[in-house]
Amino acid sequence: MKDPILETRNLIKFFGDVLVLDGVNIKVGRKTITLIIGPNGSGKSTLINVITGFYPATSGQVIFEGQDITKKRPYQIYDLGIVRTFQTPQPLKKLTVLENLLIARKHVGENVISALNYKKWSEFEDELVERAFKILEFLRIDHLWDEESYKLSGGQLKLLEVGRALMTEPKLIIMDEPIAGVAPALAHEILKRIVELKNKGITFLIVEHRLDIALRYVDYIYAMASGKVIAEGSEEEVINNPQVVEVYIGGG
Amino acid sequence: MIYGLILNILLWFGFYLIISLSLNMEYGYGGIPNFGKALSVLVGAIVAGGVVTRILIYIYHIKIGIGGFSTATSAVSNEVTTLIAHNPLLGLALFLLTLILAIIIGCIAGAIFILPSARLKEDYLAITLLAIAETFTMICYYNQSIIGGYYGVSVPDFLAFIHTNRGVVFTGIVLLIALITFIFFERLMNTPYGRLLRAMRENEDVIRVYGRDLMKVRVMTMAVGSGIAAIVGVLLSYYTLRVQANSFMITGRTLWTFYPFLIILLGGASNNKGTAVGTIIFVTVMEVIDFYKTNIVSFLHLPVEAVWLEYILFGIMMLLILYYKPEGILPEKPIITPAIKKAYETKKVSKKGVREEY
Repeated sequence: MKDPILETRNLIKFFGDVLVLDGVNIKVGRKTITLIIGPNGSGKSTLINVITGFYPATSGQVIFEGQDITKKRPYQIYDLGIVRTFQTPQPLKKLTVLENLLIARKHVGENVISALNYKKWSEFEDELVERAFKILEFLRIDHLWDEESYKLSGGQLKLLEVGRALMTEPKLIIMDEPIAGVAPALAHEILKRIVELKNKGITFLIVEHRLDIALRYVDYIYAMASGKVIAEGSEEEVINNPQVVEVYIGGG
Repeated sequence: MIYGLILNILLWFGFYLIISLSLNMEYGYGGIPNFGKALSVLVGAIVAGGVVTRILIYIYHIKIGIGGFSTATSAVSNEVTTLIAHNPLLGLALFLLTLILAIIIGCIAGAIFILPSARLKEDYLAITLLAIAETFTMICYYNQSIIGGYYGVSVPDFLAFIHTNRGVVFTGIVLLIALITFIFFERLMNTPYGRLLRAMRENEDVIRVYGRDLMKVRVMTMAVGSGIAAIVGVLLSYYTLRVQANSFMITGRTLWTFYPFLIILLGGASNNKGTAVGTIIFVTVMEVIDFYKTNIVSFLHLPVEAVWLEYILFGIMMLLILYYKPEGILPEKPIITPAIKKAYETKKVSKKGVREEY
């Protein structure tokens, strides 16, 4: 693969004595959608948590745009243009949908001293609100803008997660099961939006279980089992791989 | 009689409004369970009784004799009070200097106070803050060189030039400072900073994903909260003209940590107006019980002193609020910045409570 935006090199992660990632090597091509599949416990979510700095890696490297980011903390990784969503949506429950989006961007008015000087941040705040409404319209949840986010349904929360990630103008969005528990019609909607965004130049790394829906939208697939990458390639290459069939169907 | 009751209600309303607003920022907005709130008040009292008095002792060349620091403060307080009686400006300067020093030292102390625990999750944070505050209070109690320990210290009366109605003037000053504090917090919270604090309370992981250094936000918030709370320590010291470490032991924990939490839960966390409403209700109940305690005892034939009734009642009140109305009297509202205000005016506002399925 030419010019990968993200690369992991022999990533190993132990939880105590349990080996969760066993030398994972993946590459995510710029402006593509890369999918990671694998049964429960294969280490997909751990991989994301290690990449985004939530868990420290035991050994190995994470390279983003040629820079080693293995030891960086989550808030430093944000500054590089990487943003992630969570397996279960993490809305800021008591905040409105609009506020949930606004929080995604670092703000000049977030410091005690600058906050008191309204002039200093009002303009940026105007821009943010405008941008937030555009994103809400794009995701078709703009009619909910002033609702507290705990009132949203499961599917709407997934969209909110996507919207919050988009607010940051990221280079890479890492999504942990964006369509888990979402009705098929909405799942297709979400993935279509993701493809649209890919065409606008954003790279996606997605972990997903629901292959029936997800496979047709993605460019490259990694299959994981027991902390290892067992297959990679295009849709056909991966789902016809005997090892993948084995772990998914269960060695019949 | 009743006039004294009203004056007392107003005075304590002022004290409690200042400290509750600062706790509301830390806990109501930011979700930092500051169980060591009383420490900030103690810091303010230390500035009035331990720092400013030392400066005065130095300026007026008072000898620290056999009675130690505690006795020396009595001497210097008498002298300075006499001077202030003929020179109001000196009194005001002394008061302002103490306030500013207390805010600065309070900020620094607050920032240092949270440093050891800033990386902890909420439950552990609460316990650690409580433990640090208790330890520090103990040190002040047993070490007489800070604020005289058990014996306490005297502070000069900055209002010595007022001969009648000192209580009224003092209450007026406290209320004025409380009003300024209220405006300050209303302004500070209706900004992206207030929004970030609420977001931090709701979910720390999200804030980390979106690039914020939690530690920095917590340290900043505790610095401001403690700086403001230190004002209460100064006001209290000048109210009683004494600073005594033992008033920050068991009663201090109740008065300056438990009660502010009760006020916030009563009025509505993360809402400054709610805090004000909670404060006035709480203080009125507290003062009325205190005022009529002998009548209550004889009327109800209580086997105990009525002051204990206060603790029982407030304990029950807290449980009832948490059980039946956890959002408080005035519930939380979104942060209103100018841009968001415009959105509420121009965009279609959805019917509240309607859940629309996608």
